[in-house]
Amino acid sequence: MWTGDTMITNPNAYDLIVAILNAIGVYNIILGFFQAQGMEYVLRIIIVLVEVVVVVVFALVTVMFLSWLERKMFAVVQSRYGPMVTGPRGLFQPIADGIKLLGKEDIIPATADRWIFTLAPFIVFVSVLLVFIPLPFGESLILSDLRVGLLYIIAISAITPVSILLAGWASNNKYSLMGAIRAVAQDISYTIPLAITAIAVVVFVGSLSTVDIVNAQQGYWFGVIPKWFIFLQPLGFILFLIACIAEMGRIPFDFQESEQELVAGFFTEYSGMKFAMFFLAEYAHLFAVSGIIVTIFLGGWTGPAIPLIPIQITSLVYFVIKTYAVIFFAMWLRDTVPRVRIDQLLYLGWKIMIPLALLNLLFAAFVVTAGVI
Amino acid sequence: MAWISKNWTMIGIIKGLIVTMKHILKIGNRKTVTVQYPYERMKVAPRFRGRHAVDEDACIGCGICETTCPNSTIQIVKYGTRWFPEFNLGMCLFCGLCVDACPMNALKMTGEYELADYTRESLIYGPERILFKKEVSK
Repeated sequence: MWTGDTMITNPNAYDLIVAILNAIGVYNIILGFFQAQGMEYVLRIIIVLVEVVVVVVFALVTVMFLSWLERKMFAVVQSRYGPMVTGPRGLFQPIADGIKLLGKEDIIPATADRWIFTLAPFIVFVSVLLVFIPLPFGESLILSDLRVGLLYIIAISAITPVSILLAGWASNNKYSLMGAIRAVAQDISYTIPLAITAIAVVVFVGSLSTVDIVNAQQGYWFGVIPKWFIFLQPLGFILFLIACIAEMGRIPFDFQESEQELVAGFFTEYSGMKFAMFFLAEYAHLFAVSGIIVTIFLGGWTGPAIPLIPIQITSLVYFVIKTYAVIFFAMWLRDTVPRVRIDQLLYLGWKIMIPLALLNLLFAAFVVTAGVI
Repeated sequence: MAWISKNWTMIGIIKGLIVTMKHILKIGNRKTVTVQYPYERMKVAPRFRGRHAVDEDACIGCGICETTCPNSTIQIVKYGTRWFPEFNLGMCLFCGLCVDACPMNALKMTGEYELADYTRESLIYGPERILFKKEVSK
Protein backbone atom coordinates (compact mmCIF):
# COMPACT_ATOMS: atom_id res chain seq x y z
CA MET A 1 0.00 0.00 0.00
CA TRP A 2 2.95 2.31 0.54
CA THR A 3 3.00 4.35 -2.62
CA GLY A 4 4.29 7.68 -1.37
CA ASP A 5 7.98 6.88 -1.23
CA THR A 6 8.66 7.67 -4.84
CA MET A 7 10.62 10.57 -6.21
CA ILE A 8 8.00 11.39 -8.85
CA THR A 9 7.09 15.03 -8.39
CA ASN A 10 3.61 16.06 -9.43
CA PRO A 11 3.36 19.14 -11.65
CA ASN A 12 2.81 22.38 -9.76
CA ALA A 13 1.91 25.95 -10.65
CA TYR A 14 5.50 26.78 -11.62
CA ASP A 15 5.42 24.12 -14.30
CA LEU A 16 2.00 25.36 -15.38
CA ILE A 17 3.27 28.92 -15.87
CA VAL A 18 6.23 27.61 -17.84
CA ALA A 19 3.89 25.48 -19.94
CA ILE A 20 1.60 28.46 -20.63
CA LEU A 21 4.59 30.60 -21.63
CA ASN A 22 5.78 27.76 -23.87
CA ALA A 23 2.35 27.50 -25.44
CA ILE A 24 2.41 31.20 -26.25
CA GLY A 25 5.94 30.68 -27.51
CA VAL A 26 7.73 33.33 -25.48
CA TYR A 27 9.34 31.18 -22.77
CA ASN A 28 12.46 30.38 -24.77
CA ILE A 29 12.90 34.02 -25.77
CA ILE A 30 12.68 35.18 -22.14
CA LEU A 31 14.88 32.33 -20.95
CA GLY A 32 17.45 33.15 -23.63
CA PHE A 33 17.43 36.80 -22.59
CA PHE A 34 18.15 35.92 -18.98
CA GLN A 35 20.66 33.20 -19.86
CA ALA A 36 22.61 35.64 -22.00
CA GLN A 37 23.33 37.65 -18.86
CA GLY A 38 23.91 34.55 -16.73
CA MET A 39 20.90 35.32 -14.55
CA GLU A 40 18.60 32.36 -15.06
CA TYR A 41 17.67 32.41 -11.37
CA VAL A 42 16.10 35.88 -11.81
CA LEU A 43 13.49 34.35 -14.10
CA ARG A 44 12.72 31.68 -11.51
CA ILE A 45 12.37 34.34 -8.82
CA ILE A 46 10.05 36.38 -11.05
CA ILE A 47 7.82 33.38 -11.75
CA VAL A 48 7.64 32.53 -8.03
CA LEU A 49 6.84 36.16 -7.23
CA VAL A 50 4.00 36.05 -9.74
CA GLU A 51 2.63 32.98 -7.94
CA VAL A 52 2.91 34.71 -4.58
CA VAL A 53 1.10 37.79 -5.85
CA VAL A 54 -1.67 35.65 -7.34
CA VAL A 55 -2.14 33.79 -4.05
CA VAL A 56 -2.18 36.96 -1.95
CA VAL A 57 -4.64 38.69 -4.28
CA PHE A 58 -6.80 35.57 -4.35
CA ALA A 59 -6.77 35.45 -0.54
CA LEU A 60 -7.73 39.13 -0.27
CA VAL A 61 -10.58 38.86 -2.78
CA THR A 62 -11.83 35.69 -1.11
CA VAL A 63 -11.73 37.33 2.30
CA MET A 64 -13.72 40.29 1.05
CA PHE A 65 -16.31 38.08 -0.59
CA LEU A 66 -16.55 35.78 2.44
CA SER A 67 -17.07 38.62 4.89
CA TRP A 68 -19.86 39.96 2.67
CA LEU A 69 -21.36 36.48 2.34
CA GLU A 70 -21.25 35.87 6.06
CA ARG A 71 -22.97 39.15 6.90
CA LYS A 72 -25.55 38.61 4.20
CA MET A 73 -26.39 35.07 5.30
CA PHE A 74 -26.56 36.06 8.94
CA ALA A 75 -28.92 38.86 7.96
CA VAL A 76 -31.16 36.64 5.86
CA VAL A 77 -31.49 34.12 8.68
CA GLN A 78 -32.46 36.91 11.05
CA SER A 79 -35.04 38.38 8.61
CA ARG A 80 -32.85 41.38 7.86
CA TYR A 81 -31.32 42.76 4.66
CA GLY A 82 -27.68 43.05 5.69
CA PRO A 83 -25.43 45.47 3.78
CA MET A 84 -27.45 47.01 0.95
CA VAL A 85 -26.17 50.51 0.21
CA THR A 86 -22.64 50.14 -1.20
CA GLY A 87 -22.80 48.56 -4.62
CA PRO A 88 -25.29 45.97 -5.85
CA ARG A 89 -26.77 44.25 -2.77
CA GLY A 90 -23.94 45.77 -0.70
CA LEU A 91 -21.26 43.82 -2.52
CA PHE A 92 -18.64 46.56 -2.06
CA GLN A 93 -19.20 46.81 1.68
CA PRO A 94 -15.89 45.02 2.49
CA ILE A 95 -14.01 47.60 0.40
CA ALA A 96 -15.66 50.42 2.33
CA ASP A 97 -14.82 48.64 5.58
CA GLY A 98 -11.22 48.22 4.49
CA ILE A 99 -10.87 51.91 3.60
CA LYS A 100 -12.41 52.83 6.95
CA LEU A 101 -10.01 50.54 8.84
CA LEU A 102 -7.02 51.95 6.92
CA GLY A 103 -8.05 55.46 7.91
CA LYS A 104 -8.37 54.65 11.60
CA GLU A 105 -5.77 55.70 14.14
CA ASP A 106 -3.31 52.92 14.94
CA ILE A 107 -3.58 52.80 18.72
CA ILE A 108 -0.99 51.01 20.83
CA PRO A 109 -1.94 50.91 24.53
CA ALA A 110 0.49 52.73 26.82
CA THR A 111 1.36 49.65 28.87
CA ALA A 112 1.45 47.24 25.93
CA ASP A 113 4.56 45.44 24.77
CA ARG A 114 5.00 47.47 21.59
CA TRP A 115 7.08 45.06 19.52
CA ILE A 116 5.09 41.92 20.24
CA PHE A 117 1.84 43.85 19.95
CA THR A 118 2.85 44.98 16.45
CA LEU A 119 4.28 41.62 15.42
CA ALA A 120 1.40 39.34 16.46
CA PRO A 121 -1.16 40.20 13.72
CA PHE A 122 1.49 39.70 11.04
CA ILE A 123 2.41 36.27 12.42
CA VAL A 124 -1.26 35.25 12.33
CA PHE A 125 -1.73 36.48 8.78
CA VAL A 126 1.47 34.97 7.41
CA SER A 127 0.87 31.62 9.09
CA VAL A 128 -2.56 31.47 7.49
CA LEU A 129 -1.20 32.42 4.06
CA LEU A 130 1.45 29.70 4.35
CA VAL A 131 -1.32 27.09 4.55
CA PHE A 132 -2.16 27.91 0.92
CA ILE A 133 1.19 26.55 -0.30
CA PRO A 134 0.41 22.79 -0.37
CA LEU A 135 -3.29 23.30 -1.11
CA PRO A 136 -4.19 21.80 -4.51
CA PHE A 137 -6.59 24.23 -6.19
CA GLY A 138 -6.75 22.07 -9.25
CA GLU A 139 -4.87 19.73 -11.52
CA SER A 140 -1.25 21.06 -11.30
CA LEU A 141 -2.61 24.23 -9.70
CA ILE A 142 -0.57 23.90 -6.54
CA LEU A 143 2.19 26.21 -5.37
CA SER A 144 4.43 23.43 -4.16
CA ASP A 145 3.62 19.75 -3.87
CA LEU A 146 5.38 19.08 -0.58
CA ARG A 147 5.89 15.41 0.14
CA VAL A 148 4.92 16.15 3.74
CA GLY A 149 2.05 18.46 2.79
CA LEU A 150 -0.44 17.33 5.41
CA LEU A 151 2.14 17.40 8.19
CA TYR A 152 3.16 20.86 7.00
CA ILE A 153 -0.44 22.09 7.15
CA ILE A 154 -0.92 20.77 10.69
CA ALA A 155 2.42 22.21 11.78
CA ILE A 156 1.69 25.64 10.30
CA SER A 157 -1.76 25.64 11.92
CA ALA A 158 -0.02 25.12 15.26
CA ILE A 159 1.69 28.51 14.90
CA THR A 160 -1.63 30.35 15.19
CA PRO A 161 -2.16 29.76 18.95
CA VAL A 162 1.34 31.06 19.64
CA SER A 163 0.65 34.32 17.85
CA ILE A 164 -2.78 34.58 19.51
CA LEU A 165 -1.13 34.16 22.89
CA LEU A 166 1.44 36.81 21.92
CA ALA A 167 -1.34 39.21 20.95
CA GLY A 168 -3.31 38.59 24.13
CA TRP A 169 -0.29 38.87 26.40
CA ALA A 170 1.20 41.94 24.74
CA SER A 171 -2.10 43.85 24.94
CA ASN A 172 -1.78 43.94 28.75
CA ASN A 173 -5.53 43.64 29.09
CA LYS A 174 -7.38 41.07 31.15
CA TYR A 175 -9.96 40.36 28.46
CA SER A 176 -7.25 39.88 25.83
CA LEU A 177 -5.32 37.53 28.08
CA MET A 178 -8.43 35.52 28.96
CA GLY A 179 -9.35 35.21 25.28
CA ALA A 180 -5.80 34.22 24.36
CA ILE A 181 -5.59 31.56 27.09
CA ARG A 182 -8.92 30.12 26.04
CA ALA A 183 -7.89 30.14 22.37
CA VAL A 184 -4.68 28.29 23.15
CA ALA A 185 -6.43 25.70 25.33
CA GLN A 186 -8.98 25.17 22.56
CA ASP A 187 -6.47 25.00 19.70
CA ILE A 188 -4.22 22.54 21.49
CA SER A 189 -7.03 20.23 22.53
CA TYR A 190 -8.55 20.18 19.04
CA THR A 191 -5.34 19.84 17.03
CA ILE A 192 -4.96 16.31 18.41
CA PRO A 193 -8.22 14.81 17.00
CA LEU A 194 -7.59 16.85 13.83
CA ALA A 195 -4.19 15.24 13.36
CA ILE A 196 -5.38 11.74 14.26
CA THR A 197 -8.28 11.81 11.79
CA ALA A 198 -5.91 13.13 9.14
CA ILE A 199 -3.55 10.24 9.90
CA ALA A 200 -6.44 7.80 9.32
CA VAL A 201 -6.69 9.15 5.76
CA VAL A 202 -2.92 8.98 5.35
CA VAL A 203 -3.08 5.30 6.30
CA PHE A 204 -5.38 4.74 3.32
CA VAL A 205 -3.35 6.82 0.88
CA GLY A 206 0.14 5.95 2.02
CA SER A 207 1.40 9.47 1.38
CA LEU A 208 1.35 12.83 3.11
CA SER A 209 1.37 14.74 -0.16
CA THR A 210 -1.92 16.54 -0.77
CA VAL A 211 -1.75 15.80 -4.48
CA ASP A 212 -1.42 12.08 -3.79
CA ILE A 213 -4.39 12.27 -1.42
CA VAL A 214 -6.48 13.85 -4.16
CA ASN A 215 -5.27 11.39 -6.79
CA ALA A 216 -6.25 8.50 -4.51
CA GLN A 217 -9.82 9.77 -4.53
CA GLN A 218 -10.28 9.68 -8.30
CA GLY A 219 -12.61 7.13 -9.78
CA TYR A 220 -15.90 5.60 -8.69
CA TRP A 221 -17.13 2.65 -6.69
CA PHE A 222 -19.76 0.65 -8.57
CA GLY A 223 -19.63 3.40 -11.18
CA VAL A 224 -21.76 5.72 -9.05
CA ILE A 225 -20.24 6.62 -5.69
CA PRO A 226 -17.10 8.73 -6.02
CA LYS A 227 -14.11 7.37 -4.16
CA TRP A 228 -14.09 10.17 -1.63
CA PHE A 229 -12.86 9.47 1.86
CA ILE A 230 -16.07 10.86 3.35
CA PHE A 231 -17.80 7.61 2.30
CA LEU A 232 -14.94 5.51 3.62
CA GLN A 233 -14.68 7.42 6.88
CA PRO A 234 -17.91 9.22 7.80
CA LEU A 235 -16.94 9.35 11.48
CA GLY A 236 -13.53 10.73 10.59
CA PHE A 237 -15.13 13.40 8.43
CA ILE A 238 -17.47 14.54 11.20
CA LEU A 239 -14.64 14.62 13.73
CA PHE A 240 -12.39 16.51 11.32
CA LEU A 241 -15.13 19.03 10.53
CA ILE A 242 -15.87 19.69 14.22
CA ALA A 243 -12.17 19.94 15.03
CA CYS A 244 -11.64 22.36 12.13
CA ILE A 245 -14.53 24.58 13.19
CA ALA A 246 -13.14 24.57 16.73
CA GLU A 247 -9.66 25.39 15.51
CA MET A 248 -10.96 28.25 13.39
CA GLY A 249 -12.63 29.66 16.49
CA ARG A 250 -16.07 29.99 14.96
CA ILE A 251 -19.43 29.63 16.64
CA PRO A 252 -20.22 27.21 18.42
CA PHE A 253 -16.60 27.23 19.61
CA ASP A 254 -15.71 30.92 19.40
CA PHE A 255 -14.16 31.19 22.83
CA GLN A 256 -11.27 33.33 21.72
CA GLU A 257 -13.59 36.24 20.98
CA SER A 258 -16.79 35.41 22.83
CA GLU A 259 -18.37 38.81 22.71
CA GLN A 260 -20.74 38.42 25.63
CA GLU A 261 -18.04 37.42 28.11
CA LEU A 262 -14.81 38.97 26.79
CA VAL A 263 -15.12 42.21 24.88
CA ALA A 264 -13.56 40.91 21.68
CA GLY A 265 -11.14 38.35 23.07
CA PHE A 266 -7.50 38.56 22.13
CA PHE A 267 -7.91 41.48 19.73
CA THR A 268 -9.78 43.75 22.14
CA GLU A 269 -7.01 46.37 22.07
CA TYR A 270 -6.37 46.22 18.34
CA SER A 271 -7.61 48.85 15.95
CA GLY A 272 -7.05 50.07 12.43
CA MET A 273 -4.70 48.12 10.20
CA LYS A 274 -3.73 45.55 12.82
CA PHE A 275 -7.35 44.67 13.44
CA ALA A 276 -7.76 44.34 9.68
CA MET A 277 -4.91 41.82 9.68
CA PHE A 278 -6.71 39.68 12.26
CA PHE A 279 -9.91 40.00 10.26
CA LEU A 280 -8.16 38.98 7.03
CA ALA A 281 -6.50 36.06 8.79
CA GLU A 282 -9.81 34.84 10.18
CA TYR A 283 -11.52 34.60 6.81
CA ALA A 284 -8.44 33.40 4.93
CA HIS A 285 -8.21 30.68 7.57
CA LEU A 286 -11.85 29.79 6.93
CA PHE A 287 -11.14 29.35 3.23
CA ALA A 288 -7.89 27.46 3.80
CA VAL A 289 -9.43 25.05 6.31
CA SER A 290 -12.41 24.43 4.05
CA GLY A 291 -9.96 23.73 1.25
CA ILE A 292 -8.16 21.22 3.46
CA ILE A 293 -11.45 19.48 4.33
CA VAL A 294 -12.29 19.29 0.64
CA THR A 295 -8.83 17.99 -0.22
CA ILE A 296 -8.83 15.27 2.41
CA PHE A 297 -12.44 14.10 2.52
CA LEU A 298 -14.40 15.49 -0.43
CA GLY A 299 -12.18 14.47 -3.30
CA GLY A 300 -10.32 17.74 -3.77
CA TRP A 301 -10.52 18.93 -7.36
CA THR A 302 -11.78 15.62 -8.75
CA GLY A 303 -14.99 15.61 -10.72
CA PRO A 304 -16.46 14.56 -14.05
CA ALA A 305 -14.33 15.83 -16.91
CA ILE A 306 -15.98 18.16 -19.42
CA PRO A 307 -14.76 17.91 -23.01
CA LEU A 308 -13.14 20.90 -24.76
CA ILE A 309 -12.37 22.63 -21.47
CA PRO A 310 -8.85 22.13 -20.06
CA ILE A 311 -8.77 20.08 -16.88
CA GLN A 312 -6.98 22.89 -15.04
CA ILE A 313 -10.08 25.09 -15.34
CA THR A 314 -12.70 22.42 -14.58
CA SER A 315 -10.73 21.13 -11.60
CA LEU A 316 -10.39 24.66 -10.23
CA VAL A 317 -14.15 25.15 -10.59
CA TYR A 318 -14.89 21.84 -8.83
CA PHE A 319 -12.52 22.74 -6.02
CA VAL A 320 -14.04 26.18 -5.51
CA ILE A 321 -17.59 24.81 -5.57
CA LYS A 322 -16.79 22.15 -2.96
CA THR A 323 -14.89 24.62 -0.80
CA TYR A 324 -17.75 27.07 -0.85
CA ALA A 325 -20.13 24.26 0.10
CA VAL A 326 -18.04 23.59 3.22
CA ILE A 327 -17.83 27.34 3.95
CA PHE A 328 -21.60 27.56 3.53
CA PHE A 329 -22.02 24.79 6.08
CA ALA A 330 -19.74 26.57 8.55
CA MET A 331 -21.70 29.81 8.14
CA TRP A 332 -25.01 27.95 8.33
CA LEU A 333 -23.90 26.36 11.61
CA ARG A 334 -22.81 29.75 12.89
CA ASP A 335 -26.24 31.20 12.19
CA THR A 336 -27.96 28.33 13.97
CA VAL A 337 -26.30 27.22 17.16
CA PRO A 338 -25.27 29.09 20.33
CA ARG A 339 -21.90 28.87 22.01
CA VAL A 340 -21.09 25.89 24.23
CA ARG A 341 -19.52 26.39 27.66
CA ILE A 342 -15.73 26.34 28.04
CA ASP A 343 -15.83 23.18 30.20
CA GLN A 344 -18.13 21.50 27.67
CA LEU A 345 -15.65 22.43 24.95
CA LEU A 346 -12.72 20.80 26.72
CA TYR A 347 -14.89 17.84 27.74
CA LEU A 348 -15.90 17.32 24.12
CA GLY A 349 -12.35 17.64 22.89
CA TRP A 350 -10.50 15.42 25.34
CA LYS A 351 -13.07 12.86 26.47
CA ILE A 352 -15.11 12.28 23.31
CA MET A 353 -13.31 13.37 20.16
CA ILE A 354 -9.85 11.99 20.91
CA PRO A 355 -11.13 8.46 21.81
CA LEU A 356 -13.41 8.50 18.76
CA ALA A 357 -10.54 9.67 16.56
CA LEU A 358 -8.35 6.86 17.88
CA LEU A 359 -11.17 4.40 17.23
CA ASN A 360 -11.45 5.75 13.69
CA LEU A 361 -7.71 5.34 13.20
CA LEU A 362 -7.95 1.78 14.49
CA PHE A 363 -10.74 1.08 12.00
CA ALA A 364 -8.72 2.55 9.14
CA ALA A 365 -5.63 0.59 10.08
CA PHE A 366 -7.67 -2.61 10.35
CA VAL A 367 -9.29 -2.11 6.96
CA VAL A 368 -5.98 -1.34 5.27
CA THR A 369 -4.09 -4.19 6.94
CA ALA A 370 -6.85 -6.68 6.16
CA GLY A 371 -6.67 -5.50 2.56
CA VAL A 372 -10.39 -4.78 2.25
CA ILE A 373 -9.82 -1.61 0.25
CA MET B 1 -21.61 6.81 32.71
CA ALA B 2 -22.69 10.39 32.23
CA TRP B 3 -22.05 10.21 28.53
CA ILE B 4 -24.94 7.81 27.96
CA SER B 5 -27.46 10.43 29.00
CA LYS B 6 -26.15 12.93 26.45
CA ASN B 7 -28.14 13.58 23.31
CA TRP B 8 -25.90 11.88 20.80
CA THR B 9 -28.30 12.06 17.88
CA MET B 10 -27.98 15.88 17.84
CA ILE B 11 -31.66 16.15 16.87
CA GLY B 12 -31.84 19.63 18.38
CA ILE B 13 -29.01 20.97 16.24
CA ILE B 14 -30.46 19.37 13.11
CA LYS B 15 -33.88 20.89 13.81
CA GLY B 16 -32.26 24.29 14.23
CA LEU B 17 -30.32 23.85 11.00
CA ILE B 18 -33.58 23.07 9.19
CA VAL B 19 -35.19 26.23 10.58
CA THR B 20 -32.29 28.44 9.46
CA MET B 21 -32.25 26.76 6.06
CA LYS B 22 -35.94 27.59 5.69
CA HIS B 23 -35.01 31.21 6.38
CA ILE B 24 -32.21 31.16 3.82
CA LEU B 25 -34.44 29.64 1.14
CA LYS B 26 -37.39 31.86 2.16
CA ILE B 27 -39.74 28.88 2.67
CA GLY B 28 -43.00 29.89 4.30
CA ASN B 29 -43.96 33.34 5.48
CA ARG B 30 -40.52 34.69 6.33
CA LYS B 31 -40.54 38.23 5.02
CA THR B 32 -37.67 40.62 5.62
CA VAL B 33 -38.79 42.91 8.40
CA THR B 34 -36.11 45.59 8.09
CA VAL B 35 -37.30 49.06 7.02
CA GLN B 36 -34.50 50.81 5.15
CA TYR B 37 -35.02 54.05 7.01
CA PRO B 38 -33.58 56.90 4.98
CA TYR B 39 -35.04 55.44 1.77
CA GLU B 40 -38.34 54.17 3.09
CA ARG B 41 -40.26 55.13 6.20
CA MET B 42 -42.77 53.43 8.42
CA LYS B 43 -46.27 54.92 8.63
CA VAL B 44 -46.62 57.02 11.77
CA ALA B 45 -49.48 56.08 14.10
CA PRO B 46 -52.35 58.62 14.13
CA ARG B 47 -51.92 59.46 17.82
CA PHE B 48 -48.13 59.71 17.59
CA ARG B 49 -46.77 62.61 19.66
CA GLY B 50 -44.27 64.50 17.52
CA ARG B 51 -43.60 68.20 17.00
CA HIS B 52 -46.33 70.61 18.15
CA ALA B 53 -48.50 72.71 15.88
CA VAL B 54 -50.72 75.65 16.83
CA ASP B 55 -53.88 76.65 15.02
CA GLU B 56 -53.31 80.27 14.12
CA ASP B 57 -56.97 81.22 14.19
CA ALA B 58 -57.97 79.34 17.33
CA CYS B 59 -55.08 80.23 19.66
CA ILE B 60 -55.89 83.04 22.09
CA GLY B 61 -52.48 83.20 23.77
CA CYS B 62 -53.98 82.47 27.17
CA GLY B 63 -50.84 80.75 28.55
CA ILE B 64 -52.58 77.73 30.08
CA CYS B 65 -50.26 75.45 28.10
CA GLU B 66 -47.30 77.35 29.55
CA THR B 67 -48.45 76.77 33.14
CA THR B 68 -49.33 73.14 32.45
CA CYS B 69 -45.98 72.15 30.95
CA PRO B 70 -43.98 70.14 33.51
CA ASN B 71 -40.63 71.05 31.95
CA SER B 72 -41.34 74.74 31.25
CA THR B 73 -40.86 74.05 27.59
CA ILE B 74 -43.44 76.61 26.51
CA GLN B 75 -43.16 80.38 26.64
CA ILE B 76 -45.77 82.77 25.35
CA VAL B 77 -44.12 85.26 22.98
CA LYS B 78 -45.39 88.12 20.87
CA TYR B 79 -45.59 87.34 17.16
CA GLY B 80 -46.89 90.15 15.00
CA THR B 81 -49.78 91.63 16.89
CA ARG B 82 -50.84 88.53 18.84
CA TRP B 83 -49.38 86.20 21.47
CA PHE B 84 -48.44 82.61 20.64
CA PRO B 85 -46.60 79.81 22.45
CA GLU B 86 -42.94 79.13 21.66
CA PHE B 87 -41.63 75.57 22.22
CA ASN B 88 -38.10 74.76 23.32
CA LEU B 89 -38.12 71.16 22.04
CA GLY B 90 -34.77 70.45 23.66
CA MET B 91 -36.62 70.41 26.97
CA CYS B 92 -39.90 68.91 25.78
CA LEU B 93 -40.75 65.39 26.92
CA PHE B 94 -43.64 65.03 24.46
CA CYS B 95 -46.14 64.21 27.21
CA GLY B 96 -49.00 65.98 25.48
CA LEU B 97 -50.35 67.74 28.61
CA CYS B 98 -50.37 71.08 26.78
CA VAL B 99 -52.63 69.61 24.12
CA ASP B 100 -55.05 68.36 26.80
CA ALA B 101 -55.04 71.69 28.59
CA CYS B 102 -55.74 73.96 25.62
CA PRO B 103 -59.22 75.50 26.08
CA MET B 104 -59.62 76.33 22.37
CA ASN B 105 -58.33 72.97 21.01
CA ALA B 106 -55.74 75.02 19.13
CA LEU B 107 -52.75 72.85 20.02
CA LYS B 108 -52.02 69.53 18.40
CA MET B 109 -49.07 67.24 17.90
CA THR B 110 -47.95 66.28 14.40
CA GLY B 111 -46.30 63.09 13.25
CA GLU B 112 -43.00 64.82 12.51
CA TYR B 113 -40.21 63.07 14.41
CA GLU B 114 -36.94 64.04 12.68
CA LEU B 115 -36.15 66.88 15.05
CA ALA B 116 -32.40 66.44 15.58
CA ASP B 117 -30.40 69.60 14.99
CA TYR B 118 -26.93 71.03 15.38
CA THR B 119 -27.43 73.81 17.96
CA ARG B 120 -29.57 74.30 21.06
CA GLU B 121 -30.89 77.55 19.64
CA SER B 122 -32.32 75.88 16.56
CA LEU B 123 -34.35 73.57 18.81
CA ILE B 124 -36.44 76.54 19.97
CA TYR B 125 -39.47 76.43 17.70
CA GLY B 126 -41.02 79.89 17.54
CA PRO B 127 -44.47 80.69 16.19
CA GLU B 128 -43.08 81.09 12.68
CA ARG B 129 -42.37 77.36 12.58
CA ILE B 130 -45.32 75.87 14.45
CA LEU B 131 -48.30 77.94 13.30
CA PHE B 132 -50.72 76.41 10.85
CA LYS B 133 -54.04 77.56 9.41
CA LYS B 134 -56.93 75.16 9.57
CA GLU B 135 -58.72 74.83 6.27
CA VAL B 136 -62.21 76.17 6.78
CA SER B 137 -64.77 73.78 5.38
CA LYS B 138 -67.88 75.52 4.23
